[in-house]
Amino acid sequence: MIERMSWTKFKRSLISMILTWLIPGIGHLYLGKKGRAVVFFIVVHLTFILGFVADGRFFLVDQRQPFMSYLQTATNMAAGPLDIVGRVYVYGSPAYFLPGEEEARSSFLMTRMRERMKSQGSAYGTAYLLTAGLMNLLLMLDVFDISIGRKE
Amino acid sequence: MFQSHFIHMLVFTGLVSVFFAFLTRNDRRGRLKVGIYLALIMITASLLIAYTLYPFPK
Repeated sequence: MIERMSWTKFKRSLISMILTWLIPGIGHLYLGKKGRAVVFFIVVHLTFILGFVADGRFFLVDQRQPFMSYLQTATNMAAGPLDIVGRVYVYGSPAYFLPGEEEARSSFLMTRMRERMKSQGSAYGTAYLLTAGLMNLLLMLDVFDISIGRKE
Repeated sequence: MFQSHFIHMLVFTGLVSVFFAFLTRNDRRGRLKVGIYLALIMITASLLIAYTLYPFPK
């Protein structure tokens, strides 16, 4: 049976989800789950940092393979502002789209991407970065469940 | 960073296990149980897959 959600619950769930996206773990803190908030904050940040240090790849939308590249980029973006900071550091701007073939040859963005992909730990780094994004997605769903009372 | 593939796997397993233990359980004992189970399953499965693929390097 579908129940209508009250405005207060809706507001609470929306705020907690946005907070989680902004800073992993803060949504749980907002809902009064201090212990979980600290653990999630540390685990998601550590996963992201390990991915970043290991030269993980920040995916860009590629028009030649739109389905996979949109999914990969969206997963990266789920890590919130951490992803934006990472992209600015790596690409020099918050880039999300791969340049066209002509531009790509001389593009700074492509050069940086190739450099990182050549690195020995790049595959691991990419796995860490995607995992951090997926973890944060699950945290957003978790705070939603907690805020509507479906979970303790 | 880590030179060893095995260390990478252990670190990754640790992080994912802790995450899911805290996500799925609320009591200390339950978290410990889920965390250990997950870590053991992931490590065992990875080693099994790795050795199964050993004769096929490419």
